[in-house]
Amino acid sequence: MSIIKASNLEKHYLSPDKPGKTFAAVNKINLSVEAGEIFGLLGPNGAGKTTTLEMLEGLNDIDSGSVFVNQIDVKKNPYEVKKIIGVQLQSNEYFDRLNLSDLLILFANLYSVSIDPKAMLAKVDLENKIHALPDDLSGGQKQRFSIACALVNNPKILFLDEPTTGLDPQAKRNLWNLAKNLNEEGMTIVLTTHNMEEAEYLCDRIAIMDQGSIIAQDTPKQLILDYAPEPHETPMYGNIEDVFLALTGHRLRD
Amino acid sequence: MLTKPQIHLATIFIKIFYRDRQSLFFSLLFPLIFTGIFLFSDSEPNPTRLGLVNQSQDELSIKFVELVKKEKVFTVKEGSELELKDDLIAGDQTAVIIIPETFNNFTNPGKLRLLLDASQVRQVDSIRDSLEATLLSIERDIRKIEPMFSLELEDVKARPQRYIDFLLPGILAYMLMNLCIAGSGFNIVEYRRRGILKRLFVTPIQPKDFIISIVLARMFIIMMQLSVILGLAIGLLKINIIGGLLPLYGVILFGAFIFLCVGFFLGSLAKTQESIRPLVLLFTFPQLILSGIFFPISYLPAMVQPIASSLPLSVIASSMRDIANDGAPLFAINFNFIGIVFWVFTSFFIATKFFVWQKVAS
Repeated sequence: MSIIKASNLEKHYLSPDKPGKTFAAVNKINLSVEAGEIFGLLGPNGAGKTTTLEMLEGLNDIDSGSVFVNQIDVKKNPYEVKKIIGVQLQSNEYFDRLNLSDLLILFANLYSVSIDPKAMLAKVDLENKIHALPDDLSGGQKQRFSIACALVNNPKILFLDEPTTGLDPQAKRNLWNLAKNLNEEGMTIVLTTHNMEEAEYLCDRIAIMDQGSIIAQDTPKQLILDYAPEPHETPMYGNIEDVFLALTGHRLRD
Repeated sequence: MLTKPQIHLATIFIKIFYRDRQSLFFSLLFPLIFTGIFLFSDSEPNPTRLGLVNQSQDELSIKFVELVKKEKVFTVKEGSELELKDDLIAGDQTAVIIIPETFNNFTNPGKLRLLLDASQVRQVDSIRDSLEATLLSIERDIRKIEPMFSLELEDVKARPQRYIDFLLPGILAYMLMNLCIAGSGFNIVEYRRRGILKRLFVTPIQPKDFIISIVLARMFIIMMQLSVILGLAIGLLKINIIGGLLPLYGVILFGAFIFLCVGFFLGSLAKTQESIRPLVLLFTFPQLILSGIFFPISYLPAMVQPIASSLPLSVIASSMRDIANDGAPLFAINFNFIGIVFWVFTSFFIATKFFVWQKVAS
């Protein structure tokens, strides 16, 4: 059953190069996300991934087309949609002088729910940082804390916008494991990435976007069969990331 | 009715403020400086330094000099024209009076000459008034006549009124405006720049929840800040709030609401910290001049007065002054009250109209 269904979704912005003209950041895309799957929007920078994600979340106005999230019309009831989704943004800035516990309690109150901040931080391996300020966290910790903030309302759908950009291999793998665990608990996850390995490892299905359009949409395996059928030689060696992890270990450093 | 998210967000804003030691320090420093200035400065104005050149040296001119010397508003120094002119240029004298040789010539009396520094022209009126009064007194003495009329000043409101009594409500209103606009306008721009507004925007709270929360929090903080000044003013400067504190706080609350909403509006218009500053200055500076903070609006040109009286800072400052100095009630139906009601609705309308999550948060 589709938990997200987008039809003919469009978003236009003023062109930075041609004054007075607009361009389609998202151009009549159709997609559906099944409940319980990890769905990836894959594409290069500027492909329209984040704009699409923000329209699905109700954060960006929809110029035309429709989006239904859990059968709620995003255009008509964006605030109802926000109650059942969790969003991790690319930026990780928070109010000054509030520690992680204060911030989690704040976000929980914005959803009118009560939480145990320590238990919430334990989900993302940050329980020992409960009194730390966000500025004291490393990049990977900040991303995990951002996901903890997105989980305070126990959402049906979790949106992750380029969650591993800028993270070291340990932090990246740890975040992948976190996403997999949440998905195993039944949470639907929609993520954007331009990391091919991440898309292949995490996603049940992928939509590949370029220049505002979805140019392919299927499971990773089927996409490979359809577009890259030539079998690769079995590599004799792993890649340099495997070397890095073998030497430095999988343990998180932050 | 306030919602749980609104109340929690408001308490968070208060918590953030009170955890900021630097802003706490400076918010207490200003009231202390303000009170100190008025506490340690003499309430009487300093006497005007007046040079006297007596070219006549007859009995009448000597008497004139003696009478001028008795005037409390002058500190008199006698000397030659050349010497006193040098003093005037050096700034050691404010004005120099030259008594002509023909001072006692009743058929063709010489005119007194008053030399002064053009940069001190604001004192000309007071010097001239005092000199004319002195001359009149001498003339009566010579002619042996008693003055027919005398003027006795009597305040119909029968209360001692000092400059600080006039100034304090205006200063409080001006502080209120600045604190509110800094508390909403500058914060909005900063929160947007750092992506914090967007983080709030992904939750189900609506713009009005955010506005109500920040208004509640800022009102509380500002009430605390103004209470410190009021407390010091009442305790140390012996300011008497004739109308009582409750109506005064009522006006402060309305004022805080108006200026916070204006701050939201300006913060929604400005995209950067650089652009918010001139916008805020454009709003606050004309009001500093026109709203009767340091001198009454009636001193302004007649055609400007209706506009000046209608400005938000004017209606707030005037209402506070009416309560503090004249004991006016909070809800007296007068021009200021109508002005406050008008600005409460107008400011809330423009704040909510322009504070749109999609535009402000992105």
